[in-house]
Amino acid sequence: MQVKSVTLLGHKDHGKSTLIGSLLMQTGAATKVRIKEAEEYSKRLGKTFEPAFILDSFAEERTGEMTIDTTRAEIKYKDLAFALIDVPGHEELIKNMISGASYGEVALLLVSAKRDEGIKDQTKRHLFLSRMFGIEDLVVAVNKMDTRDFDEDAFLAVKKELSGFIERIGFDQKRVSFVPISAYSGENLVKKSSKMKWYNGEPLIDAIYESAKKEKRQRHGALRLIVQGMIDADEGIIGGKIVNGDMKIGERIAILPQDQHATVKDIVVKGNKVKIATTGENVAIRLDKKVDFEVRGSVISNAEEKPRLTDKLKAKIFIVSKPGKTLRIKFNGIDLECGGMKILNSINTVNGKKGPAKMEVLNAVEAEIQLDKKLPVEEFETTKELGRFVLYSGKEFMGIGTIIS
Amino acid sequence: MIKQDLSTLEEKSIYIIREAKLKFKNIAALWSMGKDSTTMLALTRKAFMGKIPFPVIHIDNGIDFPETYEFRESLAKKWNFKVIVGHSEIKPDLVGSACCGKNKPETLKKIMAEYGFDALIVSIRRDEHGIRAKERYMSPRDEKFRWNYKDQPAELWDDYTSKLDTKGHIRVHPLLDWNEIDIWNYIKREKVPINPLYFSRNGFRYRSLGCTHCTVAVKSNAKNVDDIIKELETTKIEERSGRSMDKENEYVMQRLRQFGYM
Repeated sequence: MQVKSVTLLGHKDHGKSTLIGSLLMQTGAATKVRIKEAEEYSKRLGKTFEPAFILDSFAEERTGEMTIDTTRAEIKYKDLAFALIDVPGHEELIKNMISGASYGEVALLLVSAKRDEGIKDQTKRHLFLSRMFGIEDLVVAVNKMDTRDFDEDAFLAVKKELSGFIERIGFDQKRVSFVPISAYSGENLVKKSSKMKWYNGEPLIDAIYESAKKEKRQRHGALRLIVQGMIDADEGIIGGKIVNGDMKIGERIAILPQDQHATVKDIVVKGNKVKIATTGENVAIRLDKKVDFEVRGSVISNAEEKPRLTDKLKAKIFIVSKPGKTLRIKFNGIDLECGGMKILNSINTVNGKKGPAKMEVLNAVEAEIQLDKKLPVEEFETTKELGRFVLYSGKEFMGIGTIIS
Repeated sequence: MIKQDLSTLEEKSIYIIREAKLKFKNIAALWSMGKDSTTMLALTRKAFMGKIPFPVIHIDNGIDFPETYEFRESLAKKWNFKVIVGHSEIKPDLVGSACCGKNKPETLKKIMAEYGFDALIVSIRRDEHGIRAKERYMSPRDEKFRWNYKDQPAELWDDYTSKLDTKGHIRVHPLLDWNEIDIWNYIKREKVPINPLYFSRNGFRYRSLGCTHCTVAVKSNAKNVDDIIKELETTKIEERSGRSMDKENEYVMQRLRQFGYM
């Protein structure tokens, strides 16, 4: 069964873990033991039943009623399975949120309709990040409708307030849907709710299903293989993953950044010799000649359609922590020093607007980065695997970037 | 239990196993002769053209089942890989989690230090336990094997943590995404040799394997891999129901893992 990753986004306490817990129960994915466990802990902590406990497993998560780190739970629906990725909603746990969110194919945003909760900064920041990660399909679940007597106006208010921002940061409105729900009482999750007759759309799980089924944007067909290292150095066997296009025996290829050319002699996929290997496959290859190059992080492309070699990147960077004296960039297994970073302008992740050149934690910048050597890169929009990187300052995770040009 | 696409799971695991071998200097894998770590070895052979290019460690407390020892010898010979056996001593006053939480990690610490391993492949899966579901694919442990679960490294796209400290090691978890039923479907598809204790004898079988002291057999008539797959498609019982230590207290797995349990 095909598994689609769905990342849960949203401000703390807007009900992400509760929603996953309820979905696990309503689709029969939670075992009796897990449900009983959650019931017992709820009782011990003096609470009514909390579905989030099916998911939040750390002691601190249950007593503190917050998700600390990302986790994953699976549900089945029709011909698909969804891996629901829970992420922490707290600001200070953004690093853990990013780790979970980077694996998503569909984003599911939770916004509480409860009075005084509504759309928060973190709600928008999560949306900004998911768009930056290249997520195209979004479902917005307007939660806690039970606290507003399932009133249509409460739902419409959230929808209206959020629509402008969603469009401004680059989502296509045709790929966004809004669903009113109550995660806690289980309304409109798997079955249409009788308490919200005014809502003509589908229950949440169908909205997720439709989003997961949407055709993704077509990619170009050029070969891009990222080299992991030598599988067998004596035999000259190179190991790596094809991230775009196909690789064929007899094909002329280029190895970058060394810019050497060769012909593919053998391709092995999972122990079997093949004539052609395709996107997503981990291959072991032999070339017609011994190529002497630093292998890790090199890119193999077809000889005619090479990625650009550059030591200067223009990128959008989300700032997780302020950089210290040194800056390192991690890019496809390559880990190297940055010569410098010039901020061009800031981007406010809460309103999506550009501003003066300054660096602020939890906001983004557009910047030029100087590298110590030339690397094969592409724009994130063209080949995301060659257009994204992680920044560190010393041991500190500083931010993530996507290449603009 | 959700059946996932085996080829997708396989590609991801191969990528992670290769990444561990090619990124770190001196790696090893833990092998309990159970179904998961044996599947990991089958995947390693796919990643490295039929070879297992690192040693595998068995932490032997002397009270594993006889079938387990036999299986260790026969597979190591068949697939031609090096096994390092670490002998841990069972102390009669320690039982359950106190025993597993202390004996095995202590022995493993000695081996890691003796051979200077900087990364260790461990075949845990998210669906086994809520705490294991919180793990990263690559996760640092300090020199005392402690897991700093409150401050795990960022892990995004195909970028896993690098080893930044000289002390401690990285735990590598290539099977994190797999479900129990995926393991069995893969064993079936790839004809992976498997420890006979998983098959029913006199109406009982082992669903999760530990040592003879703390593992109890579950009722089952599943006599082969096909039977097991059929059984798992309908069961409502959790995999680790036969492992006594999981039940002592709700956070026992969190504490065990925090202090170095695998």
